[in-house]
Amino acid sequence: MLVSWNWLKEYVSLDMPLSELEERLAMSGLNHEGTQQIGEDLAIDLEVTSNRPDCLGHMGVAREISVLWECDLQFPGLRTSAGSATNCEIPVRIEAPKLCSHYTARVIRGVQVAASPQWMSERLSTIGLASVNNVVDATNYVLMESGQPLHAFDLGQLEGPEIVVREPFKDETFEAIDHRTYQLKPGMCVIGDAARAVALGGVMGGAATEVSATTTDVLIEAADFAPLPVRNAARRLNLHSPASYRFERGVDPAGIDWASRRCCDLILDLAGGTLLEGCARAGGSESERPPLVLRFSQLKRILGIEVSREEVRRILSALGCRETKCDEQATHVAAPSWRRDLTREIDLVEEVARIHGYDQIPEDVGVPMAPSHRSDADRVVATVRRVLTSAGIDEAMTCSLVPLAWCQQCPVWADTAPLLSEMPMKGVLAEATQKKFGPAEYLRQSLIPSLLESRRYNEAVANPGIELFEIARVYLPQQDGQLVEQSVIAITSGRDFSDVKGVIESVLAVLDPSAELEVADATLPFLSASGAAELRVAGRRLGILGAVSEETRRAFGLRSLSIVAELSLEVLEELAELVPQHSPLSQFPAITRDLNLVVDEAVRWEQLAKSVRRSAGSLLEELQFQSVYRDPQRDGQGKKRMIFSMRLRSSDRTLTGDEADHLRTEVVKSCCDNHGAELLG
Amino acid sequence: MAELTFLEQLDVLAEAADSTFEAVRTPEALEEARIEFLGAKKGKLKSIQKQMGQVEKADRPAAGKRFNEIKQAIEAQLERAILRVQTLDASDSDVPSGEIFDPSLPGNACRLGHLHPITQTIEELKDIMGRLGFTVADGPEVEGEWYNFEALNIAESHPARDPLDNFYLATANSNSGLPRLLRSQTSTVQIRVMESTPPPVRIISLGRVYRPDTADATHYPMFHQMEGLLIDHQVTMADLKSVLRLFATSYLGSEVHIRFRPSFFPFTEPSVEADFRWHDEWIEFGGAGMVDPNVLEAVGYDPEQVTGFAFGLGIERLCMRRHAINDIRELYRNDVRFLQQF
Repeated sequence: MLVSWNWLKEYVSLDMPLSELEERLAMSGLNHEGTQQIGEDLAIDLEVTSNRPDCLGHMGVAREISVLWECDLQFPGLRTSAGSATNCEIPVRIEAPKLCSHYTARVIRGVQVAASPQWMSERLSTIGLASVNNVVDATNYVLMESGQPLHAFDLGQLEGPEIVVREPFKDETFEAIDHRTYQLKPGMCVIGDAARAVALGGVMGGAATEVSATTTDVLIEAADFAPLPVRNAARRLNLHSPASYRFERGVDPAGIDWASRRCCDLILDLAGGTLLEGCARAGGSESERPPLVLRFSQLKRILGIEVSREEVRRILSALGCRETKCDEQATHVAAPSWRRDLTREIDLVEEVARIHGYDQIPEDVGVPMAPSHRSDADRVVATVRRVLTSAGIDEAMTCSLVPLAWCQQCPVWADTAPLLSEMPMKGVLAEATQKKFGPAEYLRQSLIPSLLESRRYNEAVANPGIELFEIARVYLPQQDGQLVEQSVIAITSGRDFSDVKGVIESVLAVLDPSAELEVADATLPFLSASGAAELRVAGRRLGILGAVSEETRRAFGLRSLSIVAELSLEVLEELAELVPQHSPLSQFPAITRDLNLVVDEAVRWEQLAKSVRRSAGSLLEELQFQSVYRDPQRDGQGKKRMIFSMRLRSSDRTLTGDEADHLRTEVVKSCCDNHGAELLG
Repeated sequence: MAELTFLEQLDVLAEAADSTFEAVRTPEALEEARIEFLGAKKGKLKSIQKQMGQVEKADRPAAGKRFNEIKQAIEAQLERAILRVQTLDASDSDVPSGEIFDPSLPGNACRLGHLHPITQTIEELKDIMGRLGFTVADGPEVEGEWYNFEALNIAESHPARDPLDNFYLATANSNSGLPRLLRSQTSTVQIRVMESTPPPVRIISLGRVYRPDTADATHYPMFHQMEGLLIDHQVTMADLKSVLRLFATSYLGSEVHIRFRPSFFPFTEPSVEADFRWHDEWIEFGGAGMVDPNVLEAVGYDPEQVTGFAFGLGIERLCMRRHAINDIRELYRNDVRFLQQF
C-alpha cells in the first residue's frame, strides 16, 4: 500500500521526521518497504497484513498514526445526505446474497466529464495511479482514501436501466474495461443490467458502461462483495485490481455509505451535475457484534509484562473501540466496524501489545530448563551420513515430485500407481529433461531416478568423481488407500559393484557388527540383469543394489554406467545397536591360514563361507575373502579359485601351528564335501 | 679353502660388478669397469665363461642359464652407469646422486564426501535447540486439511488454502475422498504432537515443505522449515523473546538482540516477525507468536490453563546467508563441485 505524505496530512498532523514515522509504523504493524520522492510529495510503501484491510486507505493509516502519536484525527465532512432508499428511480436487486451482502447506487445527472484538476492527478500519481477523468478519479480517490472500492457506470449505457447482482448465465461472457473478453463461471458475481453483464462485482467494471467523454449521467456503486468469490474470480481470470485486493480482505460494512456519499461530493465538486435524491439499496442489514471482554490479567499472562489499565483503555479507545463497561478486572468494548479482525479477547491483547510496543517485552527472562533427547532414528541417520561421507560420497538433495516415467522406471518398493499432484513443480527440471520425461508432478517412489538425473548434470559439466547419496522419503500408496512415507537411502556411484556393496557393509557393521548382509537374486527393469541383487538382513528386505542397465543409462542420457543402491532406513533403525556392548578380548596371539580352493562357477562365496564358519567353529575370529581367480587351462572350464584366509584365535590358550593346520584340513574337507571344492597348494 | 664352484664364482662376480658399477662417477672409471668385467679378451666374465667346459655335463644347462642372467645383469649395470655418468657430466658434479626425497609431492588424499549444506544447517539448529530443551518431532509430508489448515485456525476462506497455492493431490487416489496435500508448513507436526501429548510440550520439527512457486534464484517449490513450539503453564511472549535470543546468540556465537514487529499468522495471536541484530543490522529471523487459543482448543488443550509460543523459520534462507549462496537452485542441482565447498 502506497501512501502519500501530503494526503495523510489532510487527516492528521505529521510533525515527526519521516524516519520516525516509518520506524514506528513498522514497529506497530505497517512494515516499511521504502519511500520515494514523487514531485513535491513522498510515496511511502507500507506492507499491510491480510488481517488489516482497514489500513488499505489513507484514513486507516492516519488513524494508526493518531493512536501512536496520540494526536487528533480530522476526517472530511459530508454534504451528500444519506437519503432514503425508497425514492430512487433505478431498481437494484440482489439475486446472489452469498456473493454480495449490500449494494448501494447513487445517481448524478448532467456531469461534465473532463480532466481532473492538478491536485487530484498529483495525489493519484504519487501512489501510482494514472488519472483518467474527473469522475473515475473521484472513485479511485475515495477508494484510496477510505479503502472502500467504488465504481461509476455510464447510466446512459445501462439497459433498463436497472441493476441486478447475480451469478453468470450459462456461457456468459463479459468485456471488461481492459477491453478483453472473459468467460464467466458459476460462483462469480455479475453486476447485470436488464440485458447483460456490465461489471464483474468487486473485480472490474465493463467496457460497455465505462464513463467516457460523452457520459452525462453516472451511477455510483458502493457495495460489499464477499471475499472468497472475489478472490476466486480474480485468480481464475487473472484479473486483479485494487478493488478485488480490498474485497478479498473485507471492507468496512459501515463505511460503504460514507464512501458513496464522499464520492458524490467529489464528483459534484469536480464534474458538476445534480445528485438524485436518495439511494438505491439492497441488502445491508448489519448484525450486531457481541461486545468483547478483555481481562487485564490476560496481558501479563500472555505478554509477560504489566500494562496499566489506563494505558489499555486509552489504546483501545484510540483504536475506535467503544467501552461499554469497565471494572477492576476487565474492560468491555465494542470493536469498531472497520476492525472485523477483532472478535476475541486475544485480539485485544495483541492490539494493546503492538501499540504499547513489543520493545517493552524483555528478552532475558529465565526460561526453565527441560531435558531433550535425540531419537534413535535421528542417531541412525547421523551414523549413516557419517559412514557414507567417510566413504567419499557427497550428499545430494532432490525434489520429491518427479515425472511419471521415473516412477515407472524404478519400482524399488512399490507395486501401486504413484500419487499425482494437481500441480506440477515448475522450474525444477532441466528443460530437456522435462521434455523427455514430462513434468515433475508425481510423488516419487524411489530416489534413484532423481540421483541419476543429478549424475547426468554432473557428467554434462565434466565433473570427475560423481558419488552421490540422498536420504529422503518415498511415497508408497498401499492397496487399502493408505499412504506410507518411507525413509530411504539411495546411492549412485561410479565405482564398481563390490565397492558400493562394501560401503553398505560398512554401514551395517557400524550399526550392528553382528548383522550379516545377504543377497538374493533381483530382477528389476532398470538394473542390468547380470549385475543386480536384492539385499537382505536379518530376514528382512533391506533394499537393492546393482548396475544400471544399458537401457536405463541411455534413457537418462548418461555417458557411463553406474552402480545404484536404495536401502530402507527403517530396517537399519531396527537392527541398530546404538550403544555397543564390550566383549572381553583374548590375550592370546592369532594364527592365520590361507586357503585357495577350486570350485564350480555356480558355487557362491556365501555358501562357501557358511561351510567354513561352521567347520572352523568358535576358533575362527575372522574369515577374510581375498580374491577370486580363473585359470581355465589349469583348472578347467567352469571353475574358479576362491582365495581367502582365516584368522584363528583361542580365548584361553595360544593356538599351535598343528591345531591351526588341523582346523584348516577340517575346513577343506567340509568345503570339499559340501561344494566339491579342491585344495590348491 | 675349498675351491668355489662355477655358480658360486658367478655370484661373486655379480656382486663385485654391482658394487663397482654403482661407484662409477667418471667416464674414466666407467671405461675401466667396462674392461674389467665385460672386456672382450681379459674381462672377468670372459674368464669365467672359459671355465664352463669344466662344469659337469648334467649341470651345464643350468649353469649356462645362470651365466646368461648374470651377463645381462652386468650389461644393464653398464647401461645405468653410462646414463649416470652422462647426467653427472651435464650438471654440477656436487649434486648428490640417486633419488631425492620430495616432501612437497601431494599426499595420497582420501576422498571425503560432504554433507549437503541444508543438512549441516539443520544439524546445527537441532543441536542448539536440543541444548535449549527442545526435542525433535517428526510427521508426514502428505497431510489432510485438518493438520495443514483447520487445526491451525486457517479458515476455509483464507488465501493460504487456495488450491493454486498448494500441492493438492489428485483426489482419484484418495480412498477416503478427503483432500490431501503436500504440507505447506511444518506446523502440522505441532498439531500431531499436541493431539497425542498432554502439556508441557517443547518440540521442534524440521523438514520439507511445499508451495507452488516457480523455481528462480530466490524461490523453490520445495524448501525446509524449522518450527518450534513450547506449551506450558505460564508461558509468555517474554519467554519467546528470550528463547529466540538464546537461540540466535548460540547460532551466531556472540550476544545478539531480538526485536518483534507485529505480523499476522492464523495460528498465533499475537503474531510477530522476529528480527535479530547482527553487525548493526536487523536481520529477519522468522515468524513467531503466542499459540492462538483456537489452536489450543482444536487439539483439546484448555487455553485458560496453558499458553504457549511457536516460531518458524526458513532453513534455506539461513543456510544461504551463512554460506553466501545467492541462488537457491544451487542447493538442488547437486553439482559435486558445489557440494564439496561445504
